[in-house]
Amino acid sequence: MDQTIAVSQNWYISLSALLFGIGVMGVLIRRNAIVILMCIELMLNSVNLLLVSFSAYSGNNDGQVFVFFIMVVAAAEVAVGLALIMSIYRNLASTDINMLNKLKW
Amino acid sequence: MTLIDNSSFIVAALAILVFPIIGFTINGLLAKSIKEPTSGWIATLSVGFSFLAAVYLFFGLPADSYFTVDLFQWIAFGETTISFGLMVDALTVTMLLVITGIGMLIHMYSISYMHGDEGFTRFFTYLNMFVFFMLVLVMGSNYLIMFIGWEGVGLCSYLLIGFWFKKSAYNDAAKKAFVMNRVGDLGYLLAIFLMLFYFGTLDYSGVMVAAQEYTAINGNTIVTAVAILLFVGAMGKSAQLPLSTWLPDAMAGPTPVSALIHAATMVTAGIYMVVRSNVIYALAPVAMDLVLVAGVLTCVYGAVIGLMQNDIKKVLAYSTVSQLGLMFAALGLGAFSSGMFHVVTHAFFKALLFLGAGSVIHALSNEQDMRFMGGLSKSLKTTYTTVLIGSLAIAGIFPFAGFFSKDEILAFAFEENLAVWIILSASAVLTAFYMFRLIYLTFSGEYRGDEETKKKIHESPALMTIPLWVLAGFSIVIGFIGMPEGLGFTHAFKNYLAAVTNPGTEILNLDPHAHSVALELILIGLAMGLAVAAILYARKKYVTDKQLPHKEGEKLPAFQHAVYNKFYLDELYDNTIVKPIRFFSDKAFVWFDKNVLDIMVSGSAQLTKAGGNSLRLLQNGNTGFYLFLMVSGTILLFIIRLLVK
Amino acid sequence: MNTLILCVGLGLFCLVAELINIRKLLLPILLVGLGVLFVFTLTTWGTELPPSIWGFSMETMIRFDNFSIAFSALAIFITALVFMLAIDYYKTEENHITDYASILMFTLTGALVLFSYWNMAMLYLGIEIVSISMYIMAGSRKFDTRSNEAGFKYFLMGAFASGFLLMGIAMVYGATGSFVIEEIALYANGGNLSPLFITGLVLILIAFFFKVSAVPFHFWSPDVYEGSPALVTAFMSTLVKITMFGAFYRLLSLAFPGAISEVYTILFIVATLTMSLGNLIAITQVSFKRILAYSGISHAGYMLIAIMAIPVDSSAALFYYTISYAIAGVGIFAAAIPVFFFMNNEKVEAFNGLGKKNPALAFIITILMLSMAGIPPFAGFLAKYYVFSKAVEFNLYAITIIAIINSIIGVYYYFKVILAMYTQEPDGIEVKPTTLYWTVAIACALLVIVIGILPNTLMGLMS
Repeated sequence: MDQTIAVSQNWYISLSALLFGIGVMGVLIRRNAIVILMCIELMLNSVNLLLVSFSAYSGNNDGQVFVFFIMVVAAAEVAVGLALIMSIYRNLASTDINMLNKLKW
Repeated sequence: MTLIDNSSFIVAALAILVFPIIGFTINGLLAKSIKEPTSGWIATLSVGFSFLAAVYLFFGLPADSYFTVDLFQWIAFGETTISFGLMVDALTVTMLLVITGIGMLIHMYSISYMHGDEGFTRFFTYLNMFVFFMLVLVMGSNYLIMFIGWEGVGLCSYLLIGFWFKKSAYNDAAKKAFVMNRVGDLGYLLAIFLMLFYFGTLDYSGVMVAAQEYTAINGNTIVTAVAILLFVGAMGKSAQLPLSTWLPDAMAGPTPVSALIHAATMVTAGIYMVVRSNVIYALAPVAMDLVLVAGVLTCVYGAVIGLMQNDIKKVLAYSTVSQLGLMFAALGLGAFSSGMFHVVTHAFFKALLFLGAGSVIHALSNEQDMRFMGGLSKSLKTTYTTVLIGSLAIAGIFPFAGFFSKDEILAFAFEENLAVWIILSASAVLTAFYMFRLIYLTFSGEYRGDEETKKKIHESPALMTIPLWVLAGFSIVIGFIGMPEGLGFTHAFKNYLAAVTNPGTEILNLDPHAHSVALELILIGLAMGLAVAAILYARKKYVTDKQLPHKEGEKLPAFQHAVYNKFYLDELYDNTIVKPIRFFSDKAFVWFDKNVLDIMVSGSAQLTKAGGNSLRLLQNGNTGFYLFLMVSGTILLFIIRLLVK
Repeated sequence: MNTLILCVGLGLFCLVAELINIRKLLLPILLVGLGVLFVFTLTTWGTELPPSIWGFSMETMIRFDNFSIAFSALAIFITALVFMLAIDYYKTEENHITDYASILMFTLTGALVLFSYWNMAMLYLGIEIVSISMYIMAGSRKFDTRSNEAGFKYFLMGAFASGFLLMGIAMVYGATGSFVIEEIALYANGGNLSPLFITGLVLILIAFFFKVSAVPFHFWSPDVYEGSPALVTAFMSTLVKITMFGAFYRLLSLAFPGAISEVYTILFIVATLTMSLGNLIAITQVSFKRILAYSGISHAGYMLIAIMAIPVDSSAALFYYTISYAIAGVGIFAAAIPVFFFMNNEKVEAFNGLGKKNPALAFIITILMLSMAGIPPFAGFLAKYYVFSKAVEFNLYAITIIAIINSIIGVYYYFKVILAMYTQEPDGIEVKPTTLYWTVAIACALLVIVIGILPNTLMGLMS
């Protein structure tokens, strides 16, 4: 057993932090709505990874169950998000978020 | 003070409050179906019934006792409880009589004055609502109820200032009044919180006891803070420097509104509040000094500006500012009942003057500029006579009302602080002058307006002249309720209020009227003499010499030419006194008003707005930018969390 | 537990109603259902039955206490009011009202979850149920680009904030080893908190700041409020906001009571910014909905003060605040939607001269505005008073003074509307609200007065 879990927990934390950071940067940098949506998914997945690793290290299964919650909810969220992107595309013929600035000030 | 439990008093107190609501409801609900004079009469009668109930209380309630009506417990939070209740004592009854009595007359006057206005019913709805809130203000049993009335009268005041909303200047005036009163409210609210926190109560009686107990143990820092903050509230409502400039602008509203709200009642709320809190002020000498200084400065400032105004209502407005300053000066000296006395007399003659001015404006088809008046004494006999009585009263000529109250304050000032006495006396002289300048410019000499208007000049109908006569009658006799004690008379009004003001005056421990009868007579003679001299000077200037205020934009003619055939003394006098005063009145103070006070007060409002305008640009509609700001905010919060725990 | 099931049932019923073609009866049935729900919720007052379904205990997931019952009852009441408006509102729209009704019911379900969660998983679920429903509602006018934009902006930023929430929950889980509220509280009260835990807490806070539209995470709210259909804005600015505050309070008071002092500075800064910025920008606005959005932001700032005062148990103060805020909010929309509709204009100028055209409606708006502005004797004043006095009790002087100054500034823009109604020249267009709008508006105005004058019953219940 000891040898199979040789990877320190800190590596998992670092990796998920890195993934989360990449996701955030992606959201900030990209302008295409669909790519932004994918970056948000990346953020959520980094959380999933973190939860699973915590769960594995503490021997408590709650974290892994929580991951399923996140996946289900994320799926629902994406469904709504894509529907909204669809209707925007229909009206504006674009998915560039910079086009969406009618509402301001 | 003894507490009386009498159910008929309670009914009367509630009736006083309920009648204006009934009037308000009827006129408000039936706004569209009700015909013109009816709504006016409904409003007038509703205030009239309140007046009758107030008279009943006046005769029924002994001066040294009070009663409370605890409607229910309003707020109970922790150990603090605040009841929704009324408290009526001699001070309240005094205010009630003024509000409902003068209020009724002004309502009656308005029926004719507002004749033909498309917003006739709406006007009376607002007016009733105003009376109701004013009554709440003076009848509440604690500072929070007073605050309800305080805000309510403010709201009605804005609505009525902006009543004739076709001219945008009116709305600007309402806005200015709004901003300045906000500053005052801030003070008032902070005072309420301080009192709640340190005294644990807001009831007048409770605060009175708690303030003394607290001060005895912990010193008077808190009481001073409370007193000053309350006074900031009073400054806003009663137009004291530096929150004074809204009142002259508020004259944009219909004249009866100026008479009722901006002369007789609402603007005296600040004085009522200080008298109500006399214990707090007595415990805080610093705050008293502040009240005194603000009052004295406002008094002279208003009087000086009043000298050169050409708009008849503006003269009266600055005069009101000045008289309010005089009242605050009295309070600052510790003469609480004298201040209240002047509130009462001033309410009568200033309401009279405004209504008289309204009558003139009415006759001249809405002309307000005195340069286009003149010679109206023949055609407007009633108006002329009554305004003359009002002017004599405000100038402090015996036996008119203003004489007694003003003399009392001056006598008090003479004992307490000679410098204050000199300044206040000087302001009184200026007051006499500008009032008679108004009289002579308006009623003497030749008519200077156009022919078109001249043909239409007519005396106002009876509905307007009756209130004038009644107010004139009171302006003559009301002073006798406060005969000078220094001459051995009994001061009925002072005795009436004694139970209310004594707790404060006892703490102050002032020695009342130590000087002799002879000195008293000399002081009276001096004041009268100066006033008469000022009147005569005005007469000489505007009747004999027929001088007219210079036209807009025209440069002042070399003053020496006009007086070249006079005594050398006259010229000296002109150069040393008249010219500087004229400079202050026409240039310096007006400039100060426009460029310092306005910018200070409205500037803070504009600064707020500018701040909002620039911050608004953050909201540029770009989602990417928002996300960026969110992430930056997150990072900043983390950094702050690291730096400061 | 039964309330939750009933609520979901009502939502499902709406979906079925479309199929079996009883659309006409939909809203009456829903109102009756909500009434039953309301009574049902209140009957559980004071009883803390352990939640269970078919014998399975739910104790580690959800718990109903007086706090959650009070907030649930309020949320149900507000939803019922909004439904009453919906009847006439959707008459003019050709869309499927059943869809909207079911989404609103699901939002309410999410709200009920958020008032009673006992597990981070339920918190997450509740927030997502409410948020996803609102994304749809905001974008529900399919062919209106403004509505599209509102929905999408809300969605994008909301999903982004959810990422923060989840990261925070995961970190707290890592530090405490549990998602259950009481076990987190046990850790938080134990002292010696790990950096992981604090970081997680701050991330959760940020997600909540976003949801309650606190500065600088508020950017979505003015745009979304303006772009969404007015009824949705009404729902969003009242129900959703109080829901998020209920959940926020529950989280900090039950799970992190020992850790509030750690994030006190953050709360202070955010509350100050929220109040000040909200008020300052609101002054410059011309769109009525945007004014309400910024006013909602500044109100969030005042409510954050109640959150800061959690150690002295400010739940009653917060509850009173949410009631007065939500009822005044619904009332304002009930009175304003007809104005928008008849004037075909959502700016403040649409209210010009309303005092002449329709004095009664103008009077109601005046009362509600005054309450929002915090003028006594209306509920809004006491709401501020309760919150401020709790803050003073906890020695938060600085924030209280900032808040008082702000509430003075805030009066300005409410008066702007009042002055527009009474001192501007009307144009010829009549504004004639239907009976239902009248009913809701009058009911709200009365409630604002009644709970302003008789607050003690309400406050007595909570304490």
